[in-house]
Amino acid sequence: MTRHTRLVMSMIYWAFVLYIFVPLALMVMMGFKDSKFIGFPIRSWTLEWYIGVFGNSEVMSAFGYSMVIGITSTLISLFVGVWIAVLLNGRGFVGKGVIYGLTLLPALIPGIISAISFRIYAQLWGVPPGTGAIIWCHAVHNVPFVVLIVSARLGTLPKSYLDAARDLGADPLIAFMRVTLPYLRPALIGGSVFCMLISFDDFVRSFFLGGYQPTLPVLIFAKLRSGMSPEINAIATVVLVLTALLGIWAERTTRRLKKGY
Amino acid sequence: MSGKVPSGAAALAGKRSAENQTNDGRSFWGALAGSDLYQAFSDALLSSPRRQFAILLTFPLVWVVTQHLGPMLQMLYVSFVEAYPVAPGYEQSFTLDNYARFFGSAIFVMPFLRTLVFSATLTFATLILTYPVAYFLARHVKRSNQMIFLLLLLIPFWVGEIVRTYAIMILLGNNGAVNLALKWLGLVDRPIPFMYTGFSISVGIIYLSALYMLLPLYSALEKLPRSYTDAAADLGAGPWTRFWRITLPLSLEGISSGSTLVFLIATGYYATPVLLGGPSTTVFAETIAGFFHAAGDEWPTGAAFACLMFVTALAISFAFGRLMTRLQKGVRK
Repeated sequence: MTRHTRLVMSMIYWAFVLYIFVPLALMVMMGFKDSKFIGFPIRSWTLEWYIGVFGNSEVMSAFGYSMVIGITSTLISLFVGVWIAVLLNGRGFVGKGVIYGLTLLPALIPGIISAISFRIYAQLWGVPPGTGAIIWCHAVHNVPFVVLIVSARLGTLPKSYLDAARDLGADPLIAFMRVTLPYLRPALIGGSVFCMLISFDDFVRSFFLGGYQPTLPVLIFAKLRSGMSPEINAIATVVLVLTALLGIWAERTTRRLKKGY
Repeated sequence: MSGKVPSGAAALAGKRSAENQTNDGRSFWGALAGSDLYQAFSDALLSSPRRQFAILLTFPLVWVVTQHLGPMLQMLYVSFVEAYPVAPGYEQSFTLDNYARFFGSAIFVMPFLRTLVFSATLTFATLILTYPVAYFLARHVKRSNQMIFLLLLLIPFWVGEIVRTYAIMILLGNNGAVNLALKWLGLVDRPIPFMYTGFSISVGIIYLSALYMLLPLYSALEKLPRSYTDAAADLGAGPWTRFWRITLPLSLEGISSGSTLVFLIATGYYATPVLLGGPSTTVFAETIAGFFHAAGDEWPTGAAFACLMFVTALAISFAFGRLMTRLQKGVRK
């Protein structure tokens, strides 16, 4: 490649980075504006809105509620996803392709359709809208991602490790618990953070399956419908910072662990 | 049976058992495996490979059928019934009215077509926008730096739909950053009303879904051996020839999967069109949602509309996938 195209390419990349970051940066800035009115220019600055977030019981309870939903649904997805990944990475059998396709299905269904199909399905099983329904739907939605992440790691597990465990007298379950599962650790950490983030940030499923208690995105949506305010900027910024920190931590940890083994 | 114990596995097992040592010298797992109860369990369930496989298979099979397929099948079923849930004392009866209702009114057909056109256009726009970015990442950035460059783009994508939609609202509003910049440059006197139009929805949806295009493109381009383009250059091909005849055809797989993903996801956005759109830009997701806010007896219509949307979107993706496969075959010849 010529130096010329290289320069153009790198300019496009940095323009894209700007496109991704500028809206978020503006949103963060607006949270410091010393006025109720959203809009530029910002003439005076305050920390009031950010301090207000932590004292707002409505926001804090929505945050806690989202965390509970995220953690519970992630645990379910991990259990199911690892099991399916082990099956799909094992020996071939009739219908393996069908199971693989069905496993990925929830990742391909458009958000709104996923949400309302679960609303109907929950009704069929007599599950009322609320915590249980949201956790259920999030868990199912996240299974394909766990399967993909875990499968990628499982594919690199040398077969001899398991053979060695079997030679030393472990039955398949013990061999799984003591060899496969520790080997999967980076994938499990990466997968669970991924699921946590998807669940925590999900709006459409929580909105259609939720009861009276809002998750954090549903609360932000409700506030937005009644008008923009720097308070929302402050809440959104806190979400942004937490998400980024968790994501970076997961990325670093998985990379370090992968090097370790 | 393999006689060799690889050092990695031995070290792993050694490390684990050292961690799990208990006072009587046996690890937790050793104690568990030695217990009568576990032995009985193991003999009953894990004794033959056939039985092991049956256990391994059963749970995933039941899960994907009841949890992944079940909701879709139930939605399909509900789309053919007259009322759902059925009032006590009434018989459930089947009907095609829910589907007929769609074709009867432009209020329903217009958002449907608009969604398809929007999604297809935005998918194409996203492809054009992210291809150079993916190309730069995969081909021009040093391999050791690629993860950091990619991570830089990934972090904002972890933030959810609502927060990022809100960021776009601040960017494009009448008192938003873009209008302020335009006014400051003296290009406009009055703010341009970007918000609540097809434009604001487009910016929002591209902003939300660019990653789903970028990642497949990046992984396709990263796999492409550098020697191919080097060889072409040696044979006298210029940059454009190399791109059209080597890079682009060999990244069709990434284009195909990225476009399918973005298209399907774009048809399903609900909050973004609600917040960024106006009355003239209603998308089908909003139409479908309308039937679920109201009393339960509208559910069958909503379910029928959702089925129509999903089947059409899948059919388009499938046709597109076939086209791309055919193109790829043409490349290999």
